[in-house]
Amino acid sequence: MRRLSAACLAGAAVLAMTACMAKAPLSNNLVANETEAKRTVNLFGSMEKSNPDAAENTSRNAFDMTVMKAEEKLNLTVEYRTYTAENYMEKTYDEVVLDRVRNGMDDVYLLNPDTIRILGEEGLLLDLSGLECVKNLRDVVKMANTIDGKLVAIPQEVVAYGLFVNKDMFETYHLEFPETPEELMECCRVFKENGIQTPIGANRWWLECIVFAQAYADMYNGGNTEAMIEALNSGEAKYSDYLRPGFEYLKEMMDRGYIDAQAAYTYEAIEGEGPDFLAQKTPIVMAYWGAANTATAYGNTDFELQVIGFPSSLGQMPVLALSGYGVSVSAEHMEETLDTLDIILSDEALQVYTEINRVISPSKNIEVECGSALKPLNDRIKEGSYVLASNAGMKMEQWGNVCLLVRELLGGATVDQCMEQLDTLQEESLER
Amino acid sequence: MEELGTKKRTRTTGEVSLLLSIVLVFCILGAVVFSVARKLSAEMSSSAIHNLSESLELIKGTIEAILTKEAEFQSLIAQELAVVEEPEEFILSYNRNRTMVKISLIGAGKEEGISNTGEVFTAEGLDFSTGKTVNGLPVSLSYLNTIGTWAYTMKCPVMKDGREIATLYVEYIYESIEEAIPEGLYNGNALLYIMDAKSERLVLNPKGMGERNAGHLNLEDFYRANRILDPDLQEEVSQCITTGKNIMFYHDIRNKDSLIYMWAVNEGSVYLIGYVPVEAIQQEGRTVNQNILLVVAVMLAAFIICCALFYLSQREQNRVRKEREAEREVYNKQLAEALQAAQIASKSKTTFLSNMSHDIRTPMNAILGFTTLLAKDADNPAKVREYTKKITASGQHLLSLINDVLDVSKIESGKVVLTIGEFTLNSLVSSVDAIIRPMARAKEQNFDVSVTDIKHEYLVGDETRINQILINLLSNAVKYTPNRGNIWFRIIGQKQRSAQYEYIRIEVEDDGYGMTPEYLETIFEAFTRAENSTTNKVQGTGLGMAITKNIVELMGGTIAVTSEPGKGSCFTVELELRIPDSQDDGEFWRQSGISRILAVDDDPEICSTIQQLMKDTGVAVDTAGGGKKALCLIQDAWNRKENYHMILLDWKMPEMDGFETANRIREIIPDPVPILFLTAYDGDEVEDEALHVGYSGVLAKPFFVSAFKEKIMKIGLGKTPESTETAEEDLSLKGMHFLVAEDNEINAEILSELLDIEEASCEIVENGRLAVERFEASGEGEFDAILMDVQMPVMNGYQASRAIRGLDREEARHIPIIAMTANAFAEDVKDALDAGMNEHVSKPIDMKLLKKTVNQCIRSMKQ
Repeated sequence: MRRLSAACLAGAAVLAMTACMAKAPLSNNLVANETEAKRTVNLFGSMEKSNPDAAENTSRNAFDMTVMKAEEKLNLTVEYRTYTAENYMEKTYDEVVLDRVRNGMDDVYLLNPDTIRILGEEGLLLDLSGLECVKNLRDVVKMANTIDGKLVAIPQEVVAYGLFVNKDMFETYHLEFPETPEELMECCRVFKENGIQTPIGANRWWLECIVFAQAYADMYNGGNTEAMIEALNSGEAKYSDYLRPGFEYLKEMMDRGYIDAQAAYTYEAIEGEGPDFLAQKTPIVMAYWGAANTATAYGNTDFELQVIGFPSSLGQMPVLALSGYGVSVSAEHMEETLDTLDIILSDEALQVYTEINRVISPSKNIEVECGSALKPLNDRIKEGSYVLASNAGMKMEQWGNVCLLVRELLGGATVDQCMEQLDTLQEESLER
Repeated sequence: MEELGTKKRTRTTGEVSLLLSIVLVFCILGAVVFSVARKLSAEMSSSAIHNLSESLELIKGTIEAILTKEAEFQSLIAQELAVVEEPEEFILSYNRNRTMVKISLIGAGKEEGISNTGEVFTAEGLDFSTGKTVNGLPVSLSYLNTIGTWAYTMKCPVMKDGREIATLYVEYIYESIEEAIPEGLYNGNALLYIMDAKSERLVLNPKGMGERNAGHLNLEDFYRANRILDPDLQEEVSQCITTGKNIMFYHDIRNKDSLIYMWAVNEGSVYLIGYVPVEAIQQEGRTVNQNILLVVAVMLAAFIICCALFYLSQREQNRVRKEREAEREVYNKQLAEALQAAQIASKSKTTFLSNMSHDIRTPMNAILGFTTLLAKDADNPAKVREYTKKITASGQHLLSLINDVLDVSKIESGKVVLTIGEFTLNSLVSSVDAIIRPMARAKEQNFDVSVTDIKHEYLVGDETRINQILINLLSNAVKYTPNRGNIWFRIIGQKQRSAQYEYIRIEVEDDGYGMTPEYLETIFEAFTRAENSTTNKVQGTGLGMAITKNIVELMGGTIAVTSEPGKGSCFTVELELRIPDSQDDGEFWRQSGISRILAVDDDPEICSTIQQLMKDTGVAVDTAGGGKKALCLIQDAWNRKENYHMILLDWKMPEMDGFETANRIREIIPDPVPILFLTAYDGDEVEDEALHVGYSGVLAKPFFVSAFKEKIMKIGLGKTPESTETAEEDLSLKGMHFLVAEDNEINAEILSELLDIEEASCEIVENGRLAVERFEASGEGEFDAILMDVQMPVMNGYQASRAIRGLDREEARHIPIIAMTANAFAEDVKDALDAGMNEHVSKPIDMKLLKKTVNQCIRSMKQ
């Protein structure tokens, strides 16, 4: 015991002396003048940079981890610039992106499908087909983001949209999941008759998926896709002919009160319609794949959640939209930017991203392990049955334009007016 | 006891006081450390606020300096525009840079102007209503410009000749300010935004100062994200922003105590807002706190160790004290016991001396008394003989008394040495039986001897001492058992604990007076003797049992006794005696032609003992429990022509006794098979009867192989009892001539006279030297033997014997030399034999013994 006590005291003394010991200065100058030249890449995105270990948002956490990997490997810093509209009257993120790309403010941008199309056509985005990571990409990814033979953007995930349905409520009213638009209409009727005020919760962004599913189910699943797109690009076929049924269908839903047009016109994604869906006041909403995995969205419901495709003549149809990272042709730090992209889009980084977010990877080498809620949607994608919401191969941009037209429909425009605008847009695209 | 209790209480109070003092000292130290830490913490907190204020003031100063420079530069451009001829051309020639992204000019009184981008410019959308200025130039509300970044515009009048000819609008972007702000404030732990005060929109998030979910949209978003939900606080902040004041307050952000700040820049047109965890500012504070904690921890550890050492020390002291107390108690007890023992011993010795005085004076009185009577009645031969007989008896008694006293004295002084030699149980039992049986018979007591389960009859040990033990025990049994009582003497073989040792138990039991439990406790102590009305007529020294116990223990054995007054006693001695390396080699039996015998006894234990003892001899032993079975076995053996070579028959058996069985055997078998009768009764009578009817003889129980062998030899030699008697008669010294070495004249005279009585003669010399010289000078066969005293002047008996044996003549090597000395101990005997003497006879001289010894020596010399 005495030995132990002596050892403890000696240990404490050593600890105290060590704690109080200070390092002697090496020279009289106390300032370190050696600073390394800082290498940076400027990224413009929708959200702030975070510490990947502390971030609450899973999606951004995954992205930040891939960025961190690139920073470590390349010994540089990726600086984030962000913008978020305060309300719907302010400039949208896409508008700001367009301004910034056109003025060469940053190096790399997170781009939505419509901006990819616009900026690609304007020749402001660099051709990324020379990157090492490109050889791993799925064909559908390359097809959707290729403009004039240039691969102008590459995503970290293939975003699949679907109908998020409350299975418990469907069972309560003895309803099957809808396969066709008519069946969805019938389900809405039953819900409405049973006192569900708004059977479909919608926001101002994603209603267009219902239109796309009906419009392009045959085109993307009929084996004649290229010819049909070519016909649209040459003006032989009209987009309005494809899209009209969907608009009419939406109009009818609105007229019957299955969709609250007024609310949807102002609702932001998930923030608007989400609370009612979680509270089981609304049995159907639409959202992207990742929302089913995110606790702050629909990842933790009190009911059994199922994600199915949008109804079409060919059954349930997932709608795929591909955002992506595009590089400005006037990027100040071009080399660093391309090196960074090659790392954050490599199979290694995409594996991390896919595992964390449980999303569909753009790499053909990486498969996703999805939860039971997403199984119906994933099964359809695996079968090769889906519709693209954006396709850079189409001369007329789809994702943004149709979104705006649906918003006008929500605002009170008629289907004919919308179709007229659509024809005008097609004509403008043909003139470019 | 009371004193002890008081001491204990005093000690406990002292310990508690000491402990409380230590606790008090550490409490005071703890309080000092706590107050110092608290003061340090307060000072560091104040220092942190001061430090942060200075940092924010610095950033504010930098931003204001940029704004001022921008305003001054804009004023210079305005002055330049006033003097150029084509102001529009001047504007169009300007290329955008990272600070001024757009320059526009509107002529006085006009609604539209031109920008450097070539576009038509109007002032619509620019809000100068805040009234804020920089260096006198109005500053607009912040807005999102056409290049997708937050911007502000300052307008400057273009004055020429004292009148305003146009207004110059220059758009600046907040991102240009970013370069002037230190990167990663407080090691990247601080958050910093620039907020437009009017719109409360966050217009710049400097690099390295953003954090997810920190609320980067506007002030409301900032409040929400950082859970600043107190309306009063929000109201206070609003008032400060409205009035252009700074505000800083503490708030917990993500479980970290943080300082929230809103710092007015340019009189509150924009604000620096954000937060920083206090620990990020007080980095040295953390180290100080850690060190204080370390000191406190070390102090606590030291305190605990002190307490532990104190406790252990106390415990150790208590333990030592208790041990010492226990030791003292043991010593005291031992001392008390020793004192008691000494007192008892003293008392015993006093009693002993008293007894001795009595016991010695009694025979001495008889001797002296009878000597007086002898002198008086010298003429009356009958009385002389009677007196001398009584004098002899008293002298004998006195001698045994002296022998016992000397024996005890020797044992107690540790001078006893065992004389180890080979002996047979037969000789032991026979000699004991020969002494005790007459004594028992005299008191009409039944003396029963039994030997059972003994595996080896030949053993190694000190036969004399074992004999002494047995005689002591048995003579006591005889002494303390009334007439017609019973005495049992048993030798029982025990289970061997080692193959080399025979483990035996000797039991001596009687149904005599018995002993009280009190006496049993001291029975083996010297100088004690049971005294009561029944036994005090028994004479003895009281040393016998002490001698016995000491000898038993000297042999590595144990002795125990059980007794009950009026019922008798039982002494048990357990001994382990070594078995000699070579037992019976079987040669004797082959030469005798005996390979098969029959033992007949109704006691199966005796049959078993015979089988066991004969096991090593190679002789097959069949047993029969009665006469009838014996006859069957004999008939059967006869038929198989495997006749028995010897039959041992128990003399007394139920149904058919030994004698009858022997007669029937003689009828069955014509050949005269030797038959020996086994008997526990008086052997002489039975033997006479047996011999009378033509049987071989009698073998006394208990059965021993050695006795059996002797009997066979006897039968084989054809010796008869008459011849033994003849031998006894030969023990005469008639006509013999001895050389006697004796320095004591009286002893010499007595011996001379005694020899004379025996019709022998002697020549006496006074020392060993003379004895040697006389023998050397003697003629061949002049002396029959030399009787040698040991303690003599000039040359003692041992030296003389060696000298004689060393003489160069044949007779010197064979002539019997018999030690005659008062040195009567066993080791004296050994020394005598070692010196070359043949025998040892102790003084006082027993003529019978002397005669026997001399004759034995002479016979063996002749052989």
